[in-house]
Amino acid sequence: MNFKDILKMTFNLVALYLAGGLLLAAVYAKTSPVIFRKNAQEKKEALQRMMPAADTIKKLGDWYPHDKDAEYFVAKKDGKTIGYIVQTFGKGYSSYINILFAVNDDFVVQRMDILHHAETPGLGDEIALPYFKKRFKGKDLKHLKVVKTKTDKYVQAITGATISSRAVTEDGIKKGLEFLIKALKKGEVEHGASAGRKG
Amino acid sequence: MEHLQEEKVSNLQLIKNGIFKENTIFRLVISLCPSIAVTNSVKNGFLLGVAVLFVQTMVNTTVSLLRRFIHPRMRIPIYMLIISGWVTFVDMLMAAYARTAYKEIGLYIQIIVAFASILARAEMFASKNKVVPSFFDGLGSGLGFLVALLIISFFRELLGRGTIIGYTIVQVKPMLIMILPTGGFLVVGLLMGFFNWIDMRFYGGKGAGGAGGH
Repeated sequence: MNFKDILKMTFNLVALYLAGGLLLAAVYAKTSPVIFRKNAQEKKEALQRMMPAADTIKKLGDWYPHDKDAEYFVAKKDGKTIGYIVQTFGKGYSSYINILFAVNDDFVVQRMDILHHAETPGLGDEIALPYFKKRFKGKDLKHLKVVKTKTDKYVQAITGATISSRAVTEDGIKKGLEFLIKALKKGEVEHGASAGRKG
Repeated sequence: MEHLQEEKVSNLQLIKNGIFKENTIFRLVISLCPSIAVTNSVKNGFLLGVAVLFVQTMVNTTVSLLRRFIHPRMRIPIYMLIISGWVTFVDMLMAAYARTAYKEIGLYIQIIVAFASILARAEMFASKNKVVPSFFDGLGSGLGFLVALLIISFFRELLGRGTIIGYTIVQVKPMLIMILPTGGFLVVGLLMGFFNWIDMRFYGGKGAGGAGGH
């Protein structure tokens, strides 16, 4: 292998990768605004589904679980706070799981939804199925714990997907709820009851 | 190089070859990871099979089209570029314009990048053959993969969940182990043995000859 061969190989590789990169960049430029818009639309719809009883859902602020940009909201009905919605991220088996959950004003989980994940199909992806989502209803901070045996008191893990179940429950929702409670307390001290008084 | 073309192998034969004689999983013994990880229900097996079928066909066609522009020593990184390029392309396109389908099949598209079967067909066939035969070879081996996944997932779902495509056949879950990875190993192993037995008993073959891979 002489210098000319090395040059040829380098040129071949660079040329083809450049061509491929340019093609993908063009597709990305075309599709990413559409993807962004549809993601935002879906998040809005998901928020409404989280708190069907609420007439207004107002953003309270941002927070950064796993250095990712997440938001939290207050849900009101007739001007009265009925609960909170928090977006959170849990570190799963093969992805960061983007979660949305709703608590009432006693900080008991009402609903949860998975906005995005890339867990193993057939095992971890069951976190997005209704049967798993239902396991969160009525759980407070103390009961957001994954248990491998059959249970209603805690969150029962998905068979074969304990890591994904833990990521959603403990790394995602539990940390999100802890953050929410802390943030609201701080808010009350800083600017009175206006930030989000616990009802 | 283009020996298959000289022998006038018909396109139909190429497809049959991919399904039976050179079946990715049961004959070549490659891409076993997905065949175990993603076959615990018929629906999962089917979706992954369809995704692979599409990417395999597209990659084979592209590799064959570009084969004169690929430096022989640089071929593997360039095949990887073509595979990941197609996967990313389809992923972005579906995320933008086919949301419903994307939610079902998006996960499967993304994991295809690392499949040995796609690389193997590009190296074994598409890099040495013209575009049309390469297209049909990709179609055949993709179909072979799809059929294999359907057979595996049929047994696993039936034994593990007592259902077929979500429809309940028996009320109990007879053997939960079947939907766990362990069950995947058991079913793939037993089926491979079964097909080897058929091959030896009726066609005088020597069994699966693959080197293995993931």
